[in-house]
Amino acid sequence: MNPAAVLRVARLDLTLLWRNRTALFTVVGLPVLFAGMLVPMRGQEIDGVDGALLQGTGHLGFFLVFAVFMNLVNVFTARREDRTLKRLRGTALTDAEITGGSILTATAMYAVQALALLAVLGAAMGGRLPADPVLVLAGLAGGVAVFATLAFAVSGITPNAELAQLTVLPIMFGCMLGAGVMFPMDGLPEWLQRICWFVPLSPVVEIVRTGYFGQDFVHGAGHASLAFGEGWLACVRSFLVLIFWAALGRALATRWFRWEPRHA
Amino acid sequence: METNVETSAAVRVDGLRQRYGDFEAVAGISFDVAAGELFALLGTNGAGKTTTMETLEGHRAVHEGTVRVLGHDPHRERRRVRPRIGIMLQDGGFFADLTVAETVEHWRGFTPAARGRDEAIGMAGLAEKAGVRVRQLSGGQKRRLDLALALLGRPAVLFLDEPTSGMDPEARRETWRTVRDVVAGGTTVLLTTHYLEEAEHLADRLAILHRGRIEASGTVGEVVAGHGDRITFRLPERLRVAELPELSGARADISVDGGHTVATYTVNDVGLQAGLYALLRWADEQDVRLDGLRARSASLEDVFLRTAEGATR
Repeated sequence: MNPAAVLRVARLDLTLLWRNRTALFTVVGLPVLFAGMLVPMRGQEIDGVDGALLQGTGHLGFFLVFAVFMNLVNVFTARREDRTLKRLRGTALTDAEITGGSILTATAMYAVQALALLAVLGAAMGGRLPADPVLVLAGLAGGVAVFATLAFAVSGITPNAELAQLTVLPIMFGCMLGAGVMFPMDGLPEWLQRICWFVPLSPVVEIVRTGYFGQDFVHGAGHASLAFGEGWLACVRSFLVLIFWAALGRALATRWFRWEPRHA
Repeated sequence: METNVETSAAVRVDGLRQRYGDFEAVAGISFDVAAGELFALLGTNGAGKTTTMETLEGHRAVHEGTVRVLGHDPHRERRRVRPRIGIMLQDGGFFADLTVAETVEHWRGFTPAARGRDEAIGMAGLAEKAGVRVRQLSGGQKRRLDLALALLGRPAVLFLDEPTSGMDPEARRETWRTVRDVVAGGTTVLLTTHYLEEAEHLADRLAILHRGRIEASGTVGEVVAGHGDRITFRLPERLRVAELPELSGARADISVDGGHTVATYTVNDVGLQAGLYALLRWADEQDVRLDGLRARSASLEDVFLRTAEGATR
């Protein structure tokens, strides 16, 4: 894989994203909307921390669903069906360069959102600098890997770009409701909580909150304060779930992803 | 280990079979294309042309047989082959929101040692359309842009899948000129087409595919030879069919056309000249006048249509 070639594909992706208003809204508009929803939560204490910050750190993970997951499902489905993937594949670019360029653009868009959200949390919501920025970054990077591979897999079973609005919904709603983005999971019955551990976004949210607040957001209520470095230990289960989803996503992507329409 | 034979043929297909489920799209075909040659694949829809092309382009793995492009397996050794080939897809899509110039510019980034932007746009004949979004181009203009993109990297082997479909006659001539220039420059070209005229104009050699098999191949002359050199005339009123001669073993087919009885001899074995000589000598001896006498060699179209009919019977 030639990094320069990946960058050139990413530049093409960025140009196309800019020209496509619907896609641009998914990547830029929806996050702004969600960030606006934080304002009324400000000052309300939930789960021992400020409500705006709790939801804000949840959104930090949840934005992966817009910028990486939904965006890439759209990109790969639309390009497969209009045969532009096939055309790209007819050039000297390798498969990894073609897909890598799109993932890079999606990741860059996500990174911009994440930084902007962190800045908003810090400046307007009484937030702080993350207690363990490296842990936060590791959780988000793992999240990018998981949602990119899931996007490959889901695009493979999405017949066309219009239906991409539907096929992303199960994972989108699952992540919105089951990963503790909006409200803490502690009130749920024990068995349901355990199921929610395995929602693909859950480990991301757990790791991000643990790294941001410097408290244990993996093991139930209470959220004990952690010394620097202890967050990684607290997040072992979360990282294992992330690895599980990355492996499963990869296996499904290998099975389902297609470069050309089924009836070419 | 590559032998000399392998490197002298730019494209080599040996016993290729391709299946889609139970359907065998390509049922065991073999041909070579020498470096610098233009080879045309003709056939009706579903004959296996595009499947063969896509296999050679490296888009699909081979089910059975071997294919080599520039001495390499185009699918497994894609990275070695792709930078040296140019592909014009039958149904390749464009990014409709990019302008012509942007499309060329991005593609230059994906192509090693690419031609200059203006040169490429000029080759497509789209200099005045450089700032226009691709979605606003006509079908023919898109095909021209497609060709220019395929030629961007000065490929050693160029694949053209129905390059002039949807073009007006002028654009078609223009495209033919471009293709001839490319061949003159030493590029090997593999072309599929519906237009027999196109193959007659451009191809050094060709193969007619039908239902996944090669029914005929060679130069235009070779393919046409022995496929229906025909002599026709109107049956003179005073003659009965039984009185017509055999021409070196060939008997007359009788048909009715516009109220006249027409005799047709197909003189594949002896050829037009000998057949005609025998007929005229007979007419002289019998003192009959042959109205509407015509003698003509088979055209590629005759061969093509007969091939297509042959299997529907």
